[in-house]
Amino acid sequence: MKSKSPAWPTLSRIVAALIGGYLFTYAFTAALARLLPMDKVDALVVASLPSFLIYTLAILWAFACRNAWRAWAGMALALPLAAIGFWPQWREVLG
Amino acid sequence: MALIVALLLACGGMLGLCLGLERHYKQLWHRLPSPMLRRGLRGMGWVLLAASFAVSVQVWGWAMGPVAWFGLISLAGLSVAFLLPYSAR
Amino acid sequence: MKHKTLTQSMAWLHTWSGLIFGWLLFAIFLTGTLAVFDKEIDGWMRPEIPATSLSQSAAAQQALGYLARQHPEAKTWNIGLPGERSDTLTVSAGEQRRGGGTALDPRTGEPLAVRETAGGGFFFRFHFTLNLPRDLGIWTVGLAAMAMLVALISGIVIHKKFFKDFFTFRPAKGQRSWLDAHNATAVLVLPFHLMITYTGLVIFYLIYMPAAVDALFDGDRDNLGRALRGAPAEQQVRGERPTRSEAAELTALEPLLAEAERAMGPVSSLSIHNPGRSNARIEARPVLGNRIELTKGQSMLFDGVSGEVLRQPAVSRPSLLTQKVMAGLHFAQFGGYSMRWLYFVCGLASCAMLATGVVLFTVKRRRRHDGEGAVGALLYHIAERLNVAVVAGLMVACVAFLWANRLLPVELAQRGGWEVRVFFLVWLLSLGHAIIRPWRSAWREQLGLAAALCISLPALSLLGESLGDYLYLELTSVALGLLLAWPCWKLYQAPKERAPRRVGKQPVAQVN
Repeated sequence: MKSKSPAWPTLSRIVAALIGGYLFTYAFTAALARLLPMDKVDALVVASLPSFLIYTLAILWAFACRNAWRAWAGMALALPLAAIGFWPQWREVLG
Repeated sequence: MALIVALLLACGGMLGLCLGLERHYKQLWHRLPSPMLRRGLRGMGWVLLAASFAVSVQVWGWAMGPVAWFGLISLAGLSVAFLLPYSAR
Repeated sequence: MKHKTLTQSMAWLHTWSGLIFGWLLFAIFLTGTLAVFDKEIDGWMRPEIPATSLSQSAAAQQALGYLARQHPEAKTWNIGLPGERSDTLTVSAGEQRRGGGTALDPRTGEPLAVRETAGGGFFFRFHFTLNLPRDLGIWTVGLAAMAMLVALISGIVIHKKFFKDFFTFRPAKGQRSWLDAHNATAVLVLPFHLMITYTGLVIFYLIYMPAAVDALFDGDRDNLGRALRGAPAEQQVRGERPTRSEAAELTALEPLLAEAERAMGPVSSLSIHNPGRSNARIEARPVLGNRIELTKGQSMLFDGVSGEVLRQPAVSRPSLLTQKVMAGLHFAQFGGYSMRWLYFVCGLASCAMLATGVVLFTVKRRRRHDGEGAVGALLYHIAERLNVAVVAGLMVACVAFLWANRLLPVELAQRGGWEVRVFFLVWLLSLGHAIIRPWRSAWREQLGLAAALCISLPALSLLGESLGDYLYLELTSVALGLLLAWPCWKLYQAPKERAPRRVGKQPVAQVN
């Protein structure tokens, strides 16, 4: 593998994939668990089982997309998803 | 034993699918197969794979049978792929 | 980074995730494959335990006799029963501890002096913890499993001629052959690779992805545990206060075992609470195996005096059933020996896929590593040596572990720990050997050693007493040894002189 191109974009993608991807998956799973119209235990299981597929796709996307900025933009979707997943807790904290 | 039958059917099935591809037919018999022969071999291959599935379900039931079947056809496919070049010589 | 096509970026991802995690993954898959037969290996590592053809109820009677003599006042008796996979009869009194207890000779009911050993369970534990502290190990293996999924999916994306090349294998063509072998073992066994990797992650899914626990239960594990266990009627009837109980004879075990087996499949162990009293209770636990669902922790409760069923085994709700079926697919405790063998051979195919992958990386660069710059050349040299140490060296270490079990003195204190030390010492030595020897010699010497140790394993049964029935295990060891002898032999043959490679433009897309 010739590495004539600078390393920063690649490093950025790696961080976006591993850490950003995990945070995205975490938020996605929480949001899904909260949105599923089932009792808590069922929602928990049904939301958590596909999480590894989501994480895998997020990692692949971080490397497939056009540039490192887009990778991070995708991972930033974690924020609205986290809001959906954790709104009762956030509402409590915000008073 | 039904397991051996399922395995042999899987091998037959994978062999049919393999020889139904031009390059492998040519590898074994050194001439090109006609399209009809290729389709026949592939069709036979699928039939034998289905038979293997049926036997697997008979041996292990509807839950474990498909699991075992995937394992059997994988290993059958590997055997065909690795033995073919040596039997072509 | 200049814009790459999808194939180019996925090829890059496949190569690097595959290489960096390939060594770890090989260790995980090799020990996992061996762990398929962990109980059988465990039996081989305790040669003092005799092969038995006694029925479970006869063995249980012997155990009861021993327990009545030795622990007549105990509140609980635990009996681990022999079964299809294991001839071991163990007993203990008091709270049941995992792996504890005294082994009894089922023929006489007397305790056996069994050597202390790390057992087949070592491969099982190494498989999901890499012998690291439990949490660190579980996370490391989880990360490797994610890398495996990434490598599998990216590998599918870049494999252009998926169906055309399905059965393609061209031996004796150098790099081409290694790529063919890697593709064949990957594609033909793809359902297994995907299933085993994903289900492996599912086992510890709440450790790896606690998001739903944090969102729905505020991260409260105890609350979650209570919700998972369900209605109070399902809960364990344990630690009952003994209310005015009189002496009463324990019910006959044979019909009880038969009923338990009818409901749950073969029984693995019994716990008898308040034996010899009128409030006696007998808990029967199943051998995992008559269904795919992982039924660990399940049990059936009987009245100890009348033998009547007090509590049937719990039925899982559909969502949890799904998770337990997935976990069960990974644990491979179902379907009997034929299924176990299928998993074993598929596991070996996975190991072959990983090994051919990392070897392919070095084969590609053997001739042209000097043109890659200093970092590239260094990486090549490291990879060349790690390949030998991880692929061949680990195999030597595994069989050396078994040899240590029979050669280390029986009276050695903490024998189990010493067996594990031998494993790591041999592995370390193989790394040293791989560093000093040229690559060809390193490979053939280590493969040769592994082959020799595997083929001569049965001879170890000639030293000291070896009372169990180890025919299949020893035959498998010989077969694996012969399998390893083949590449070793090929490496001793002179390499064929090939025409100098046409150094032309190679399409970057192919992971060639």
